[in-house]
Amino acid sequence: MAVVEKSYPIGESRVFQRASFTGRAAEYFGIWIVNVLLTIITLGIYSAWAKVRRNRYFYGNTALLGHTFEYHAKGKQIFIGRLIVFGLLVALNILSHVAPLAVLAIWPVMLVVFPWFLMRGLKFNARVTSYRNVRFDFVGTYGGALKAIFLGALVTIISLGLLSPVASRWFYKYIFDNLRYGDRQFSTEPRLGALYEAFVTVVAIVIAGIVILGLFSAVASGFGGNSMGRGMGSISLWHWMIVLIIPIYIIAGLYYRAAVRNIIWSAAMVDHRHQLKSDLGRRRYAWIAISNVIVTFATLGLMRPWAAVRLQRYLAEHTAIHVDGDIGVVFDQIRSTGGVISAEYLDVDGFDFGF
Amino acid sequence: MSTVSTLVSDPASIATGTWHPPHSSRAVAARLVDIGGSLTVLSDEDDEKDKRLAWGIRSDIEISPRVGSIPRRIVFGNESVFETRDNDAVDAYLQSRGEGRSGFVHRLEIVRPRMIAFAVATVVLASTIYHYALPALVEVAVLVTPPVVPEMMSAGTLKTLDQVTLSASRLPEAKRKEITDQFEKIATHAEGGVGRYKLNFRDGGVIGPNAFALPDGNLILTDELVNLADGDTEMITAVLGHEIGHVEYKHSLRQLYRAAGVAGLVLLIAGDVGSGVQDVLTQGGGLLALSYSRSAEAQSDRRSVELMQEAGMDPTALSRFFDILETKLDDHSSTSMLSTHPGTPERKQAILDYARELRAGQGATDTHLP
Repeated sequence: MAVVEKSYPIGESRVFQRASFTGRAAEYFGIWIVNVLLTIITLGIYSAWAKVRRNRYFYGNTALLGHTFEYHAKGKQIFIGRLIVFGLLVALNILSHVAPLAVLAIWPVMLVVFPWFLMRGLKFNARVTSYRNVRFDFVGTYGGALKAIFLGALVTIISLGLLSPVASRWFYKYIFDNLRYGDRQFSTEPRLGALYEAFVTVVAIVIAGIVILGLFSAVASGFGGNSMGRGMGSISLWHWMIVLIIPIYIIAGLYYRAAVRNIIWSAAMVDHRHQLKSDLGRRRYAWIAISNVIVTFATLGLMRPWAAVRLQRYLAEHTAIHVDGDIGVVFDQIRSTGGVISAEYLDVDGFDFGF
Repeated sequence: MSTVSTLVSDPASIATGTWHPPHSSRAVAARLVDIGGSLTVLSDEDDEKDKRLAWGIRSDIEISPRVGSIPRRIVFGNESVFETRDNDAVDAYLQSRGEGRSGFVHRLEIVRPRMIAFAVATVVLASTIYHYALPALVEVAVLVTPPVVPEMMSAGTLKTLDQVTLSASRLPEAKRKEITDQFEKIATHAEGGVGRYKLNFRDGGVIGPNAFALPDGNLILTDELVNLADGDTEMITAVLGHEIGHVEYKHSLRQLYRAAGVAGLVLLIAGDVGSGVQDVLTQGGGLLALSYSRSAEAQSDRRSVELMQEAGMDPTALSRFFDILETKLDDHSSTSMLSTHPGTPERKQAILDYARELRAGQGATDTHLP
């Protein structure tokens, strides 16, 4: 299968090679529906193996410079991790109903343990990923994770969100600067100014949205406030306000995610020589994400494979690398993976740090 | 290496692809052949044509299962890898060795008309689980839950509430006695009798006017609600009857299991639905839980009507409570997707309707009432 590679001269003479995604919705539909069906029939046990097949399909169809990625985790490995995490969650849930105050005491412990989970999860996910037969690795420390998460959250809260771009920068620097491809190092130096630009844009979107909503509700209550009749008082108007604010937050969140990805990736280098680049269109990305959810629901989930392939293709095609000279032969030293429990914790909790 | 090339010219190659040395990104154009039962990788590069790069017997070699049309990896004992996109050729080779069974899942996944059957089966299974298996599992879980669990849940909750917001009641002793006496009148008609329920008076603090039931039969009534009732003890009794209903129907336990079940269902297929859809499903699960809690409220309202009727008190007394909510707290809200309780006017109407219905039924089936 030929891999389409387009070259886009950017600026002076830099030539960026775009990644591509060769997965097809129809083909993935087969994999997906069998995954779901077997997962239901086996009461969830198969979901670990389903994850492996899904990731292998997506990694194996993501091509950069003519070579694809590969996902190496084993179903059994993931299954054991899931069992342990599931057990912990059940125990925690029971505890939270038996002794609600004890759970309050557990929270500080969780906060201390969480950065460790994140670190191990990143390590596991990196180590089960390979490109041209060379594995990725993650060498971040617990202390680094503590700063990236704990301190970042603290700074964000204390500054009432004003310093959240600083926290984002710490977080992504932690991820990229500790990422390795074989013996080569990743690094990123995102400009704080650019992150603030994205942040201000998003805040502006939210404020504008709320102002428009406020005007709208003022007009609505001015016109028909009394004609609404009994049982439709001010509270239902508030309900509608809340329902309408949620989409504004979703759109703002998607804008921010796309903007931050562009900034972080475009400031990232491999081996201090090869430049990475991301040029997602913020509006286009938000549109794809939102319409994907709508289409998925409208078809009772059956169009989910199409939606997944569509998003992955967009992400891949807007990710590029400029190779400075020759990459040369890369070696890895990875011999074992380990740490699947923490990777699964992140998975269960809805975190997803894909490459 | 010239001896190798003569050896190799005879066997037909299985597939062509690239070979990577162990832990290295160096790629060598190569082909895979079977020589006397051992898999061998031979170079296709011009300068070292037919050089033997790796070999091994099948048991020492790992061939990755087929997924879609992504490249197949054949990993040798020394951790060097032969990669090929010729999946069919690898499958044919495995088939010829009698290893066809390993591709079972892949053959299921190939898009064929039967996929429609798979899709229908999946949707039917998922909705069957949601509509029948989940409620059934909840009932089973409620049945097998030993009484000690609700007792522990309740003890923990009451302790927490006492520490966080509730404080000792400031109601006069006579008032408390009056309410307790009436409460015991309806509790004798409830499941388990008077001994099953215990009425606790508390100052509500931030909770304000409220009454609630703990699953072990402990009921809590706040001073603020008593004050709000303005001397209408019968109405307070009706509210307590509503709370008895929650205990009898084990609503909190049911709701807990239901929420856990819905979360489990979402998690089950979560990996394959995408993060956006997963968020919506989780939130949607919350909304469904609210609708469940609305039906629980209606059920408890009806139980209050029954208990009041059996105790010889005004079965519609609970509706007076909703009058107060409407007039004093100015709550005219109708039922919406986002509320735990049905709208106040609807609830009031439902209580009046049910009381009328009970009276009519009583006329017809007078025989089994004393």
